[in-house]
This record gives sequence, structure tokens and C-alpha cells, in this order.
Amino acid sequence: MKKIAYLLLIFLSLNSYAATQRVEVMGMVCAFCAQGIEKSLQTIKDVNDVYVNLDNYFVIIESKNTVGIPDEMIKNIIVDAGYDVKKIETINASVKEIRAKYEKK
Amino acid sequence: MAAPMSYKGSNTTMIDLSQHYSKIDTSYALTAKDALGLKLFQAKGEGYKLTGEEFYYLRRLHRINAVESQTNLWLFLGAGIMDVKKNNRSDDQAYVSPTIQADYETRRLYIMGSYQLMRVAHDNFDTSKFKAGFSFYKTSYEETQPWFILEFSHTNSVSEKLEIVPTLRLINKALYFEAGISTAGDPKLHLMYTF
Repeated sequence: MKKIAYLLLIFLSLNSYAATQRVEVMGMVCAFCAQGIEKSLQTIKDVNDVYVNLDNYFVIIESKNTVGIPDEMIKNIIVDAGYDVKKIETINASVKEIRAKYEKK
Repeated sequence: MAAPMSYKGSNTTMIDLSQHYSKIDTSYALTAKDALGLKLFQAKGEGYKLTGEEFYYLRRLHRINAVESQTNLWLFLGAGIMDVKKNNRSDDQAYVSPTIQADYETRRLYIMGSYQLMRVAHDNFDTSKFKAGFSFYKTSYEETQPWFILEFSHTNSVSEKLEIVPTLRLINKALYFEAGISTAGDPKLHLMYTF
């Protein structure tokens, strides 16, 4: 029984993704300005990786934890960088996967 | 990016170099809308040589963030000391210099207009600027984006002529570089870095 519980725990941990959030940002028209968003987000200790996509006006935030970064904290950081947030949603993909999808063109 | 200000807590440093105008400028963003800065500059023109040290406050008065564009209205309030050399006479003068600037930017288009009021004793050194340009193509966040910008500027007293400068602008994340040659043959460099 103990063995089954242990194996189940390993299985669950292998399948538990770090939380990834997709943030739609208004006014993100150049890399010089957008780098402020990337730098500010990277100062949060729970953030593992950040991906900025100017073509589709979104930022992806991958957390080290499974719950993600509080929406209010993300909004404050983006507003402090000079932009507005349109939408925040949790998605089921890593920054690596999203980067590969959009940068392979 | 059209003003020396980035995200809250950031420093922005700019350098301008040309035969007639040189400047070093550094600022710190206290909030997303306010920055404090210091600049040293030198301008040479018809009979004049101006050397100044200025402390300024920059306020982002208004910003419209749309999905594909950004529109800004900025106010600079500068105060400093300027050494005005004219006809072998040299005088240190205190001055106050407000500037109003508006800009509109998309990923392919850039338009900016500004007016700087600068009155020193009985001299009028007001400067007006207009810049407009386009990016050759869209780039991803990681790539260097090239732009062509045409700049028109005029400073009272220093020059009677309108200066026109075709400029190549390159932007790569925190680095912003411009190089151009005025129609009078004066090469110009502009470098801006945020950290």
C-alpha cells in the first residue's frame, strides 16, 4: 500500500506543471519600453521565466510554484512599467513551449 | 520610447554628440509617471556658445495605451545655470526651462513634436522639434529593430536655419541608438540606455 502511495506521489509530481500566466498588455509597441516589463517581472522571486511577444501583445509568466503570481501583483508591475493590462489567464504550457511555437516562424 | 524615462525605479542615461550640440543626461524614474534628472550640455551657433548644467523634473501628463499604439504627453520642468558666451563676453545666468512634448508610436510609425521654452536674461533660445519616421519592418522582442527618422529642429538665436537630420535608429531592448547627418553636413549620434 505504501509503495502504491509512493508511486502515485511520484506520478502526480511528474504531472504537476508550474503555473503559467498569459497577460494581454495594451500599449506594448517597442522592445525598448517592453524590457521594463520583463525586468520588473524577473525581480519577483517566484517567477521562473518571462516571455514577451510584441506581435501578439502578450507576456507569458512562468512561476516556480503551482499557483502562479497574484493578478493584482502582475497588474501593478505592468502599470508601473507604463502599460495597461487587458486580460490575465492561466494557461497549460511552459514558456519554453510558447517561445518555440511563436519564434519558429 | 520618446522621453528619458522608463519603468518605475529605472535609470535612463543619454548621450548626444555632434559638432554643434553635445549632451549627457541621466534620470531616475521615481514612479511610472515621474522622473528626476540631471543634464550637462553645450550648444554652439552663430556667435553663441552655451554651456549649461540643468536639473529637471519630468512628468508624464497623459498616456493612451491602445492595443497597437501608444500616445504620450510629457512635461519637462528644467532649471539650471548657463554660461552664455557671445561676442567674447561670457555671463553665467540662471534659467528656468519648461518643455512640452507629445508623441505617437506604433510598431511601424513614430511621430513626435516638442517645444522648449528657454529664456536667459534677454536672449531667447527656445527650441522646437518635430520627428517622424517608420520602421523598415516589424521585429520580435529579441531582435534589433531599424527605423528611419527625419528630424526637424530649430533653436532661436543659436541658428537662423531649420536643421533637418535624416537618422537611422536602432532599438535592441535596453539600448537605443541613433546616427544621422544633417543636411548641413553635421554628423549626429544619440545613445540611450536604461538599467
